[in-house]
Formats: sequence, C-alpha cells, structure tokens
Amino acid sequence: MGERTIRRRSASQWAVAWRRFRRNKSALAGSSIVVFFLVVAIVGPYLAPYPARSYEALYAGEAGEPPSWKHPFGVEQSGIDVFSEVIHGTRNDLYVGLAASILTTLIGVALGAVGGYFKGLVGDIVLGITQVFFVIPVLLLILLFARVFSVLVFKGLGLTLIVLILAFFGWSSVSFIVRGETLKIKEMEFVQAARSLGASSWRLLFRHIVPNILSPVIVITTLNIAGFILTEVVVSFLGFGDANTSTWGLILNEGFSYMRTEWWVPLFPGLAVVFCVLGFNLMGDGLSDALNPRLRE
Amino acid sequence: MAQSLLEIEDLRTYFFTEAGVVKAVDGISVKVKESQTIGLVGESGSGKTVTALSALRVVPRPGRIVGGSIRFDGEDLLAKSEEEMRKFRGPKMAVVFQDPTTSLNPVYTVEKQLSDILMLHMDMTKQEASRSALRLLERVGIPEPERRLRAYPHELSGGMKQRVAIARALSCEPRLLFADEPTTNLDVTIQAQVLELMKQLQKDLKMSMVMITHDMGIIADMAERVTVLYAGRVMEEADTPMLFTSPKHPYTEALLKAVPSVAETRTLEVIPGNIPNLIEVPSGCVFHPRCKYAKDICMKEIPPLEKVEEGHYVACHRWRELKLEGRSK
Repeated sequence: MGERTIRRRSASQWAVAWRRFRRNKSALAGSSIVVFFLVVAIVGPYLAPYPARSYEALYAGEAGEPPSWKHPFGVEQSGIDVFSEVIHGTRNDLYVGLAASILTTLIGVALGAVGGYFKGLVGDIVLGITQVFFVIPVLLLILLFARVFSVLVFKGLGLTLIVLILAFFGWSSVSFIVRGETLKIKEMEFVQAARSLGASSWRLLFRHIVPNILSPVIVITTLNIAGFILTEVVVSFLGFGDANTSTWGLILNEGFSYMRTEWWVPLFPGLAVVFCVLGFNLMGDGLSDALNPRLRE
Repeated sequence: MAQSLLEIEDLRTYFFTEAGVVKAVDGISVKVKESQTIGLVGESGSGKTVTALSALRVVPRPGRIVGGSIRFDGEDLLAKSEEEMRKFRGPKMAVVFQDPTTSLNPVYTVEKQLSDILMLHMDMTKQEASRSALRLLERVGIPEPERRLRAYPHELSGGMKQRVAIARALSCEPRLLFADEPTTNLDVTIQAQVLELMKQLQKDLKMSMVMITHDMGIIADMAERVTVLYAGRVMEEADTPMLFTSPKHPYTEALLKAVPSVAETRTLEVIPGNIPNLIEVPSGCVFHPRCKYAKDICMKEIPPLEKVEEGHYVACHRWRELKLEGRSK
C-alpha cells in the first residue's frame, strides 16, 4: 500500500496518452527508429572503425572501394570510410535537429504565449514579427547567413552556428500554434478562477495556460526535429554547412560528383536521412493522435 | 451590529464591445456585513457575476469599471494598484465559480491546485502546503482525502470537484466569499449537501458570503438579506423573510412564482420574454417590457430606489398601489 499504489491509479492525461501511443503501430515503429538513431548518435562515434573526417583508407590504398566486410558502406574517392562517416554524421545531425527544435520551441512558446495573452500593442508587435518570419523565404536566408557568419563573425562555432540560424528563422510556426491555443485557453474559467485567487499575469500565463498547451507543443517539436535535420542536410549538401564537421549532407555533397561510379557514397547517408526523418515524422504523428483530446475514447 | 465589510456603491461596469457598450452593471449598490450571508438574485445577464468580478477587480476585457466605489473594510479598492489587489484576492475575498469542471485547471492534481495558492499567499513551504491541503479536503468533507490529493479533476465527480473548488477558495481563509451559482451544475441531492457544507463553513470561519443565484429556494435557505438584480440594476432589496412575504417589485413576485414548492400544487409561472439587450436598454424602468403591471410612466422614467420601510428598498413606480403576492418561506 501507500504512495505507489495510489499514484498508479491516478490516470493523468500523460498516462492515457501513453496507453494510446503504445497501441499505435506506426508510432511504435517511428519511435523505434528514433531510439535506434539516438543510440547510434550516443555510442556510435566510440565504436566507429575510423575517426571523423579521416583519410586513413587512402593510405591503405582502399580509396573508392565498393562496400566490403572491412568497409560496409564502401570508401570515398578521398579515402573516407562511409560507414564511419555516416555514424559520426548521425551524432551531428541529431544534435542539429534536437538543439534547433528545442530552441525553436523555447522562442516560439515564449513569443506565442506573450503575443496571445497580452492584447494591444505588445500582442500586435509580437504578431507582426511572427508574420514577417512566417513569410520570408527562410532557406535562402539560412544559406546567406550560414555563409556570411561562418566566414565573418562566428568562425569556429561549427554546427552550433547552423543551429542558431535554423532556430532564429524557424520559430514562427510554433509561435502561431501557441498563440492560437493561448487565445483559446485564456478565456477558460480556470484562468479567471486563478486570477481571482491572486495569480499575476505571468503566473497565469506560464503556470496555468502554457501547461495546458503542452500537447501540441510536444507534437510540433517532434515534427520540427525531422524538418531541421532535413534543412541541415540541404544546407550541407549545397555546400553552405561546416566543411570540417561530418554530416550526412556533407557526404552527399562530396559523393554527388561520383554518383555514377561510386553509388555507395551518396546511397547510405541518403538512406540514413530518409529513415531518420521518417522515424521522427511517424513518432510525431503518433504523439499527435495520442495527445489529441478529441480522439479520446 | 457589525459594520459593513464590503460596500459597493453605485457600481457601473460596462463592456466596450464592437457592437456597442454593454451596461452589464449599471448603478448597483450592495452592502455585506461581517459574517453575514447576502443573496444576489436575478436571471442570467442581470449583472450578478459581473458585480462579484468587479469587487475583486478581475472583470475580463473588454469590460471595465467605469464608475462607483467599492470599499472593503474601509479601504477603497478602486484606488489600489493591481499588485495590491493581488494580495487581496484569496486572503480577503475569494470566489467559487459555477462550473467546477471548467474552474479547476485540468493539468494539475488536487494537491497542486490547493498548495499552489497556499504557497503564494501564506508563505508556506511545500510540505506545509501539502499538509494544509489535506486538512482543507477533510474540512470540505471529501472521503479518502489522501487519495484525492493525488487525483486529477477529471477523475472526480461533479460534487467532489465543487468541494475541491470550495476548498481552494477557502484555502487562505478569506473574509468574504462570493459563491457564483455554486450548485447550478450539480444534481439536486448533491446540491443540498454542498449548500449545507457552505452554510457550515460560513459559520465556522465567521466569514461573510455573497450567494449569487437565480434560485429563490437557495436564497430562502441561505441568505439573511437579498438584493434582486435585473439588467444591471437593483430592483429590490430587503431582509429575506420580508422579501418573501411582502415583495414590492413585480420582478421579485415573478421570481417567487417561478419557484416550485412541495407544499402546494400549482402551475409554475414563467416570466414572459427575455432579459433585454444591454446595449440598448429599454427606456424608463428596464423591466417594463416584461411587466404585467406596466403603465405609461414605467416607459418614461427610471424609478428611483425608494424606502418601503427600514431595510426594505424598491425601484418601482407603482409599489404603493400594487398588491403583490408573496410566499411563506
């Protein structure tokens, strides 16, 4: 008896959502993929046969070799072991996706909540800024900023620079969702009740309103991870990324020219991108179904 | 006798909507004495709730208090800063809302809902707050309080939720409690229990209470004095027995006739029509379009609140001539 039995009985909305999530096959498949990539990202680099951006195979005379037992994903022209490189890329790409998405969520929740809660000038200004960021051609600016900043201002920031740029340009969709939910929730009676019991505006906003919109925020954060990984791949593929850090996009970029003869170079990082993005998307969709109160049985 | 704890004078709270100015409260005066329960009666839209929200200064936008005065224990509430008002809400005045399903935050456990306020106002640590929360649940008669502390609102029944909402409102032992139709959404047996509980708590804590309702039966049971509101104005004000036995306002009479009684068999009477559009209120007496006694003067002049006898006031041009039917309690 005691605390544990009591806690288990209490079915919070999270417990209900988890039960529904577990029964959803594609959501489970998605999260399995995500877990797989996370494990590779965490332990992979320690187990990889070659260090990142290493040309060792060149000296062994194995440059440009097709997949074999020694080099499961083949070797690049310059002597880079593709298998090792994809593993190192996994860590870096997941870092970009997770970090950019979390930052985006922090910015988006803060601005969306404030913009939705405070009417008048503050709300209008925040909405205006959000709309500007929503309509500008983000990819072009990301490429521009990545190039300019990496050369001029923030040398040596490496991938973190990409993370900051992605987050800076990517928060508006989170902000819109949070704003809409805030507008809805703030009219609910429990907010009025909390206010009439002495809660300040900030307390209302961040203790009473925001916790009630976590579900859509979790979903969009998960889906954004997939989006940011994809964007990072595009940026690196186009050659605007950090040339000293292993990423999937960078291998794609380097293997692109020899695609006809050395098909294995772009194939494996390409597959990694596809599965990783698919995993996060399936997981996000599953979370969306599990957390949507309208589908509650 | 004790002096007034809350004194609302000529309060005007308007809502500035795009369709026009809604005069939700248009010159209401209410006094509540120490440890007294008064009733605010009227249909939906009569200004009962807005009066309570105005007293706490939590009128939602686009509403605004545009006139009148609100004094609590001698202090002028309208002169206070928002920060000072926050310290008032909870420890001095609190509200129990109509629908406990929507007035409790769905993402927090009962314990969190209660301890949050205790930690905010009473400077308690987490442990102290949780102990107090448990005592509060016991106090409002929730069975198995240890277990309920960890429950989420959706796991509780309606009656239980309202008890939690009452516990929350009482957590800082307010001197005045607004009960905004606290039993409207509960079924009849639970309703009786909750009212009984509130009566008991009011006595134990020696607090004042403003019971907001449209149900004359609840008023008869709970309140010492009643103010009858209609379309944001006071129609009649009297001690409860007086109001029941000799109502002076046709609206009061109509409300009394709309209450079912076990003792007598008769058809319930309906008040024809609806509460008027509060943007373009009827001229003269606001009640005249629905009043069966209305005469020319009622359409032209706003009736002043006149003294009938000590403690009994009415706003009707014809109160002297009308023989209105009361009820025994």
